[in-house]
Amino acid sequence: MKAAVFNIQKFSLHDGSGIRTTIFFAGCNLRCRWCCNPDCFNMEEHDTYSLEELLAEALKDKVFYDKSGGGVTLSGGEIFFQFDFIQEFCRALREKGVNIAVETAGCVPNEKFVKLLELVDFVFIDLKHYDDKKHREATGVSNESILKNIVSLVNSNVDYCVRIPVIPEFNDALSDAENYAALFKKLGVKKFETLPFHQFGEKKYQNLGLQYFYQGVKALHDEDLTAYRKILGEK
Amino acid sequence: MEKEKLAPRIAAMRQEILNARPEVCTERAVLATEAYREHEADQVVLKRAYMLKKILDNMSIYIEDNTLIVGNQATKNRAAPIFPEYAMDWIIREMDTFAGRNGDAFFISEADKQILRDIYPYWKGRTLQDKGYALFPPQAREIYDNGIIRNEGNITSGDAHLAVDYEGVLKYGLRHYRERVEKKLAEADLSDFETLKSSYFLRAMLIAFDAVENYAARFSALAKEMAETAEKGRKEELLEISRICAKVPMNPAESFYEAIQSVWFIHLILQIESNGHSLSFGRFDQYMLPYYRKGIEDDEKCMILLQNLWLKTLTINKIRSNGHSRYAAGSPMYQNITIGGVGTDGKSAINPLTWMTLRSIALTRLPQPNLTVRYFKGMDEDFMQECIRVIKLGFGMPAFNSDEIIIPALTGQGVTLEDARNYSAIGCVEVAVPGKWGYRCTGMSYLNFPKTLMIALNHGIDLMTGKRICSDVGHFTEMNSFEEVFQAWDRTARELIRQGIILDTCADLAVEQEVPDILCSALVDDCIERGKHLKEGGAHYDMVSQLQVGVANLGDSLAAIKKCVFEDKTITKQELWDALASDFAGEKGEAIRQQLLAAPKYGNDIDYVDELVVRGYDTYLDEITKYRNTRYGRGPIGGNFYAGTSSVASNVPQGAGTCATPDGRHRGEPLAEGSSPTHAVDVNGPTSVFKSVSKLRTDKIVGGVLLNQKMTPQILQKPENCQKLSLLIRTFFDDLKGFHVQYNVVSRDTLIDAQKHPEKHRDLIVRVAGYSAFFTILSTQTQNDIIARTEQQL
Repeated sequence: MKAAVFNIQKFSLHDGSGIRTTIFFAGCNLRCRWCCNPDCFNMEEHDTYSLEELLAEALKDKVFYDKSGGGVTLSGGEIFFQFDFIQEFCRALREKGVNIAVETAGCVPNEKFVKLLELVDFVFIDLKHYDDKKHREATGVSNESILKNIVSLVNSNVDYCVRIPVIPEFNDALSDAENYAALFKKLGVKKFETLPFHQFGEKKYQNLGLQYFYQGVKALHDEDLTAYRKILGEK
Repeated sequence: MEKEKLAPRIAAMRQEILNARPEVCTERAVLATEAYREHEADQVVLKRAYMLKKILDNMSIYIEDNTLIVGNQATKNRAAPIFPEYAMDWIIREMDTFAGRNGDAFFISEADKQILRDIYPYWKGRTLQDKGYALFPPQAREIYDNGIIRNEGNITSGDAHLAVDYEGVLKYGLRHYRERVEKKLAEADLSDFETLKSSYFLRAMLIAFDAVENYAARFSALAKEMAETAEKGRKEELLEISRICAKVPMNPAESFYEAIQSVWFIHLILQIESNGHSLSFGRFDQYMLPYYRKGIEDDEKCMILLQNLWLKTLTINKIRSNGHSRYAAGSPMYQNITIGGVGTDGKSAINPLTWMTLRSIALTRLPQPNLTVRYFKGMDEDFMQECIRVIKLGFGMPAFNSDEIIIPALTGQGVTLEDARNYSAIGCVEVAVPGKWGYRCTGMSYLNFPKTLMIALNHGIDLMTGKRICSDVGHFTEMNSFEEVFQAWDRTARELIRQGIILDTCADLAVEQEVPDILCSALVDDCIERGKHLKEGGAHYDMVSQLQVGVANLGDSLAAIKKCVFEDKTITKQELWDALASDFAGEKGEAIRQQLLAAPKYGNDIDYVDELVVRGYDTYLDEITKYRNTRYGRGPIGGNFYAGTSSVASNVPQGAGTCATPDGRHRGEPLAEGSSPTHAVDVNGPTSVFKSVSKLRTDKIVGGVLLNQKMTPQILQKPENCQKLSLLIRTFFDDLKGFHVQYNVVSRDTLIDAQKHPEKHRDLIVRVAGYSAFFTILSTQTQNDIIARTEQQL
């Protein structure tokens, strides 16, 4: 069994506690218009790793994880795209005592999602839009399974964070924040964060010869989200 | 911290010094020449002492408007005195170009040029450089001229590279040292040959103490005289200066102010006695603590005195030859000050003065002094975060040296545990025990590793000059395995290391015979007891680290050869050789270069290449430890050599003289510095760099494993990232047993802008290697080199 990986980022600072290594697995079932990793869609053109190879790479920084309360973050793409490998990989990491976080859009059947919860210490799950129609429009998929999985996550023993990518003209209105807040209340979501839209992916679209939906749209910054976050009650 | 303001008097002084135009001052040159002429017949030690006395008695002295600490090196602040006894040829040859230099420019007047021309004939054949050259055996001279090993610094300047016994000076005063010498002299049996010989040195020390006493007295008188016409306020200050200068450094210091003035006098006079650099303050926060604790001055006054001292260190300047300037870009004096670390009891020695020293240096934000914080496992996180806040200011300080590896490395060399725990950084990354360690704890012969490899693969002939440098160990195109390539490196490197030792020994012999330093020797144990100056073996410890440049280029080159030529066989030997000889000319050359660049590179935590770096370096470690320095068996503990990777700025000029290399580096491009990875190839981030570097045998590289890391300031705006940086550094030191790390926190855009608009960035300070310098006075090439370094995404 081999995994297609499109990036391994060491000393990753934004995806969980402590010093982490983030592994980006290729393949995704969503097509978000703002995606900053369009290079992940193609499964063929990436380095492949056997379980042993990837484990060796992930363990290289173990000394730093141990000191800092860090670990490995599995990201993508969508990790469920290579779920068989992911499960084996998580077991192997667990055996070595490595803290595991995952980043997922959570657009998978609930049985599958629940399996993941048994294997990891932390889940970042995105909720790109509270409204199903809007969600389909910008990502190509329904948010139905995602909402269901968020409920499972909230009620599990696994620590989590629900993330909202705040995208201009999509979900950045203050009324959107109010709707998110209401939904979170209903689902029992207590831990969440907002991620301001950025343009880091722009160059990749150019290189891949793809059209970029957000060409020329200005990036948002923390200071742009003050009111939005206040409504949500984000700390 | 950024918002805290300097006191007006300090701010004014700072601006004045920053605005001062570096000039050449000939006063010392004239006085030294007079003294030498008057004392031709005397033993060299006496001649040196008389020279110091002549200079200190007669040089111009002044007291700046705002200063509380007095003592000047030359006729103006930041003017560089000339030290004719070390070298004169390059000065006469280059002085018309001093003002127009691209980097490290110095103004010199026509009158001063004439003064130098007038004294030049006297020094012909008498300088350290002349004597040193005459000592070089033919092969060593060939190698020296070729530049593969450079030790120009050793035979054109004094040694320094030490911290003297400031603790003793403050506690006992120089009078006490004088009494010890007098007693020794009174007891001397002059019928004994060795004792007779040492008696001249003892007498020389007495002259040097007199010289210091009179120099301080001159300031006492000047301050008193100035007080007569000074306004109220300044009048009282001048009278206080006058009182203190009448007291220290001859007598024990009894307040923080007196202690600071005493330290400054000694530190300054040592830089008038000799032009060696890296003269360091040692563990300042330790020996100054008793005087701070007396509480005679309040914290505000202490802060001003500290800042005043740092401003004074910046007034010291040195002019080097064009060639040597490229090795020491930015006129650095490497005046190191070390704080923190454990005490002799092994427990934290961080105290309120440690914090205040750090803060005062952060507030003055100058390239001097060079601040090192001694890290240790239990270091308080609050203090760590304070260090990171200072790093964030972006002037390259503090650097961290780690007790966790350095103390055991020193005891492994025969240093007692108590002394090892009392080590301080010297210059940049090197370490020594203050007041007990002989001159030049670091050698100055940089061996160029990748050039050595290329010579090894080319019948012992340098591709750049076509000249034979070493024995013929074959040609790359005829080597049939990677092992043969490695053996060629091994044999050639050993031959060159040996030649480097010969060059160093010649330099040491010349320094011992021509320019022994008297005052400096007096202030290092056990010179007085043994009646020997430092070069004769007077020091308690005397070990020297030899340096290399391009460690990463060697490992990367070996890895590329192994992988591309012998394993994957994607490049033939002839193809590689042709590509290197033509500097990767044409499409084919470039295609080969791309393949070489794709081979594994040191700095990414890849064992394949990291192991080759270690193996290549092992040749050096094994060979260097076979040799002894000129003090071996003459008294000191040690007398040996070990390795150190402080390459200073030599990676730029050394790169300029090195042909294309198998790591894909073009001819003339800079080499990697210290133990840092090659620029911009460390693409896996800082954890991987630390992992790669930690694979080196750090416990054996006692001379220091220098690692530069760069990052942009915006990364450290989030407090949690500052904590992660702390944890990163702690892991490197606690678990991976790293030796040293320093951070250059500045954005690439800022640097590029500074290159375009130097006038807007006069105060921009960057780390060049083991030290900081003003960016705008660096040469374009060195600037480009700094810009090219990988910016870590912290």
